[in-house]
Amino acid sequence: MLQISRLSRADWFGPLLATIIAIVLIQSFSATFLSAYNIEILLLAIAVNALVAYAQMIIIAIGQMNLSVGAIGGLAAISFAGAMEVWGLPAPLALVFALFIGVLAGMVNGILIRITGISAFVITLATLSIYKGINLGITEAQPFYGIPESVKSFGSAILVGPIPLLVAPTIVVTLLLWFMLRRLPIGRFILAVGSNDHAAALSGISVSKTVIAAHAISGLLAAIAGVLVVARLQIGQPSIGDDWLILSFAAPVIGGAILAGGHVSTMATMLGVVIVAIITQALVLFSIDPFLVQVVLGAMILAAVGLNRLRARQPLKGSM
Amino acid sequence: MNTPFKTMALAGICGMAAAAAQAADDSRIAMIPGGPHPYFAAWEQAGADAVRDFGIEAADYKVPQKWELTQQNQLLESLLSQGYNGFMIFPGDPVGAVSTAEELAENGAQVIAGAGCFKDPSPAAFCLGTDTGNSAYLGTKELLAAMGDGEKRIAHFTGFLVDPNTQLRIDAVNKAAEEAGATVVQVIADIDAPEPAEEKINAYLAAHADEVDGIITTAWVPAVVAANALRKMGDTGIHMVGIDHDEVVLTAIKDGVIDGTMLQNPYGQGYIGTFALDKLRSGCTVKDDAPFASNALTDKFIDSGTSYVDASTVDSYIDAMRAESDRILKDFEATYLTCN
Repeated sequence: MLQISRLSRADWFGPLLATIIAIVLIQSFSATFLSAYNIEILLLAIAVNALVAYAQMIIIAIGQMNLSVGAIGGLAAISFAGAMEVWGLPAPLALVFALFIGVLAGMVNGILIRITGISAFVITLATLSIYKGINLGITEAQPFYGIPESVKSFGSAILVGPIPLLVAPTIVVTLLLWFMLRRLPIGRFILAVGSNDHAAALSGISVSKTVIAAHAISGLLAAIAGVLVVARLQIGQPSIGDDWLILSFAAPVIGGAILAGGHVSTMATMLGVVIVAIITQALVLFSIDPFLVQVVLGAMILAAVGLNRLRARQPLKGSM
Repeated sequence: MNTPFKTMALAGICGMAAAAAQAADDSRIAMIPGGPHPYFAAWEQAGADAVRDFGIEAADYKVPQKWELTQQNQLLESLLSQGYNGFMIFPGDPVGAVSTAEELAENGAQVIAGAGCFKDPSPAAFCLGTDTGNSAYLGTKELLAAMGDGEKRIAHFTGFLVDPNTQLRIDAVNKAAEEAGATVVQVIADIDAPEPAEEKINAYLAAHADEVDGIITTAWVPAVVAANALRKMGDTGIHMVGIDHDEVVLTAIKDGVIDGTMLQNPYGQGYIGTFALDKLRSGCTVKDDAPFASNALTDKFIDSGTSYVDASTVDSYIDAMRAESDRILKDFEATYLTCN
């Protein structure tokens, strides 16, 4: 009983319970929900959306927000596709180039925030516009079609059973992020700065370096997501990333992240992504108006924030 | 510039050379879509060609960063302040965009609607666009014909709900289906962007592929995604008619994955729209008795043309689009304008 009680206090317990209940409920109404093809579709969505959520989660961990996650992902995506089509770069080099663009864009965010002292909200609102503008300036709203067969094959390959190969990078990133936040100094610094940047500075942590590093990691994650979308769609669409903002906040918050910073959970965020994907797909499976997806997402964010607030008010009992 | 558009541009040059002498010498035309979208890309080359052919000072294609009316309004006001005096606008919202169009007109600019219409009353001289309802209706008819006899259950994948054309397309598909005794079993809208289209179309097909006999798509991205999905699924027996001329769609027609596509004429809209705005700038007025058509939004509609392309005609689809442009441009001035 003690163990169950302890488990129930973990960030991932609630989302996991919700995921299981959702799967059982939907399967009972739609026999095709757990079909191999549907699982594949679901995993493809989760693979990309998890990276988008992590890109925001790492910024939430330092108590900030990044409105330019989608714009960075989109810029990296068209850089990846454009480098292959226009410059004829091989896919691995184009990948490195796209990831570099993502890291650079993230670092610019972090540097601007630290140099100017202006809030991350305002800075990333401005850079969202700049990065999207660069994207449109390069593409003129035209997709890049020249995606090599190797990338297309990667985007449509199956790892085993209904599991697409595209989930492999996401699994690796998930484990690395989890390890970083729990074991590596940079991960602990990020959480410390998010909890109390003044106290972190007094204990010898460079707040500036930590903030810039967090934004660079966020940019990197957004860039990986952008590259995966190109592989999945087999096309370098300039509008990649346009729809990421709500999801990027929804999944970490559903996963128990505290927006003030200092507390995030990689596994719970992943489960938040799974819940959002399941609900999104369920609304299509049941032929419900797609507009309701946005309504449900909004309601879920409100509910999750409310629950977090309640949990924050609860006195800690026997927490070890 | 794509070769198809080059070919189409050359076709118009000869006939339009004489018109250049009558152009206003200070026309600065701006062509503004509702947001970034590959459909409108042909407007840029059309504007450049019109500048060259008609001696217009400038005809520039400017794209709002997002599909948001506020962004489009800000861009329009900014361009007005920069000296642009003729605007072809795809309204971000058919009603909400009217006030900004009025602001442009009050400042002496000429305004027409392109590809999508303002809701009457508006200061737009006319709306030059695809008769989207008719295109969707004809496309559905072609789909029903391709499906042959037996049960006909149709899924309709379409574009942004803020697009003034979307409701027209939904109504037209329903009408064509009803006339043929077919059923529209599902409408999925607001998916004219790659990620939501990929997620929702694939999710729908994963669950309902055996409950659908045909797919009609009336927006660019859903057509691409649905064509790719059908290719991936293999022989499902599902027929499909798409829209527009994306490479993915055209290749799918050639490979027999889908049955055909309904072409629109964005190049013709940009070229003819720029020509018409310059004429209005030079003192021409719209004839009181101009033979405009009507749709649900306006009584001043000019159809920029649509045609169906299948496997037998896909290699010559450029000719179909060029023929539409030539037909409209040939007597546009005499039909719709009074010029002294």
